[in-house]
Amino acid sequence: MPRSEALGRGMRLTGLAADIRSEWRAGNRARLARLVVVALAAVAIATFVGSIMTGAADASLANVWRWLIGEADQALSIRDRIIILDIRLPRAVLGMLVGASLAVSGVVMQGLFRNPLADPGLVGVSSGASLGAVLLIVLGTATFGPLFALFGFYALPVAAFFGGLVTTLLLYRIATRGGQTSIATLLLAGIALGALTGAVTGVLVFMADDKQLRDLTFWGLGSLAGANWTKILASAPIILLSLAVTPFLARGLNAITLGEAAAFHMGIPVQRLKNVAIVSVAAATGASVAVSGGIGFVGIVVPHLLRLVIGPDHRYLLPASALLGGTLLILADMIARTIVSPAELPIGIVTAFIGAPFFLWILLRGRSNMGL
Amino acid sequence: MINVSNLSVRLGGRPVLHGVSLEARPGALTAIVGPNGCGKTTTLKAISGELAPAGGTIRINGRDLRGLKPWELASMRGVLPQSTVISFPFTVREVVRLGLAAGANADAALHDRIAAEALEAVDLGGFAGRFYQELSGGEQQRVQLARVLCQISEPVTDGEPRYLLLDEPVSSLDIRHQLGIMQLARNFCERGGGVVAVMHDLNLTAMFADHMVMMKAGKVRASGAPAEVLTDETMEAVFGCRMRVGVAPPAPVPFVLPQTASL
Ligand SMILES: Nc1ncnc2c1ncn2[C@@H]1O[C@H](COP(=O)(O)OP(=O)(O)OP(=O)(O)O)[C@@H](O)[C@H]1O
Ligand SMILES: [Mg+2]
Repeated sequence: MPRSEALGRGMRLTGLAADIRSEWRAGNRARLARLVVVALAAVAIATFVGSIMTGAADASLANVWRWLIGEADQALSIRDRIIILDIRLPRAVLGMLVGASLAVSGVVMQGLFRNPLADPGLVGVSSGASLGAVLLIVLGTATFGPLFALFGFYALPVAAFFGGLVTTLLLYRIATRGGQTSIATLLLAGIALGALTGAVTGVLVFMADDKQLRDLTFWGLGSLAGANWTKILASAPIILLSLAVTPFLARGLNAITLGEAAAFHMGIPVQRLKNVAIVSVAAATGASVAVSGGIGFVGIVVPHLLRLVIGPDHRYLLPASALLGGTLLILADMIARTIVSPAELPIGIVTAFIGAPFFLWILLRGRSNMGL
Repeated sequence: MINVSNLSVRLGGRPVLHGVSLEARPGALTAIVGPNGCGKTTTLKAISGELAPAGGTIRINGRDLRGLKPWELASMRGVLPQSTVISFPFTVREVVRLGLAAGANADAALHDRIAAEALEAVDLGGFAGRFYQELSGGEQQRVQLARVLCQISEPVTDGEPRYLLLDEPVSSLDIRHQLGIMQLARNFCERGGGVVAVMHDLNLTAMFADHMVMMKAGKVRASGAPAEVLTDETMEAVFGCRMRVGVAPPAPVPFVLPQTASL
């Protein structure tokens, strides 16, 4: 499409958008996908900056920038500085990390189980992870003293990781026979695990004291409200590490779409692929749950939307999902903290309000493609 | 050379193959035939390395299968499974390109050419942009074959022959494409590679195979050139139905033999 025509359609159509449209028309998904990844990166950065600027306290972009480069020390009041550095920035960073981690875990899990409905939240991996975290909170230092001593503030993410890992392995054992996964079994096992987790959490609530109770409520809904640099320090290394291995899984996840046997025929070390995928899903989900509770639907909505646009090739789907997941979670968080301001909704409620109807729409549209 | 000696396999705790031995030479099309459930697919799976044998040894080009890594195997042989379902909406081009190894020095233009040639070879030239899941059964089977041809695009590399293991490659194809695909397999052999194909159509087998292995109940019952193996006696012993080899039906019944085709 000529540039002038694109511009004629309105200011939003930049050159990149026009390129994306023409690749879409040409049906060239590989090039389209690369352009979409670039566009999503730009949108992610814009959203990130925008979310730091948005809120009750007014801090203009120009002033923040001038202060950042040390040009004008007085450009920001101390109060604004604290709001930006210690409240909004960690919140945006955590939103980006958790959103990316949820979306990428969704992609990897769906690739591994060869089904677009396999989402860590939906099949109970998140429940398993929060059970790990809840156990740690309630039974606390008495039982898990050595764990605290060994891992410091990593103890919570590590506990959630083990919760998630055990659940994922269990699900795999239950739902996959001879390289074939039954999605019905997977979802039903997810329900059972969710119920079990709920029951155990219920028992723990009886044992909990007031402070622990408040912490527990937080797990139920999911929130970025408690974002601070300690939480980022505790979760970022785990999340970034598990995101960093996923590009190496991309070719294997593509091949395994044809079945585990076909992937092996094409030279993929299938068992190793599965091990790495399972550990990375458990680690990313565990770390996310540990710092922000159970935030649903990101892992299913984001990959699904992207597959419609750029196709299922994991080489592009993985980075695109990370970027879109982070962006959407920051946006959801902005909604969560402005819609009932000065109070604040847990972000899990926002993602459920948007994600659940979308999920139903997915089911309406393509039940036959879901293996249901 | 693929060398299978005294292979036994158990599936689900039940012995399925009992001491199968066979050889597949480079330059020759080896066909495995036999009744349903006699163990043809199982034999092929064992040769592909996908199934661990309970006993016996399998060698490819003199190397024991057990000592080979998945990517080493992938460079020596391609495998066409009896059926393939895929779980995400890939296009034909994307499926075929899965067969291409992702080397660090992957040459995009070369890859495009190999993929296009492979699709052309299975007569799916205009199908690259179509969704795999929206193709007919026979078209899907040919796309899978094109993917295998991408993986093993040269019959010989570094002086070593490579192999195609095909499980019923023509089972859902029309007669013209059956002939086309069998001819493709023959060409691969003539250029120095080896083919092991599980077949049900005995006429096509007689027409294209250099070597035939006839199995029954997990054992090899006869092997050799098609003319030696396809006899009234083996047909009755293996398939349990009395029939005459090389006899035309009485006049009013029409019959069509692939041997008469000219393409
Ligand atoms: N996963 C399995 N578990 C137990 N038994 C199996 C399994 N797969 C196959 N079998 C049995 O092994 C035997 C050989 O099966 P195989 O698939 O090799 O047959 P085949 O010769 O390829 O038949 P067809 O012509 O129908 O493709 C059959 O009796 C079958 O029932
Ligand atoms: Mg078979």
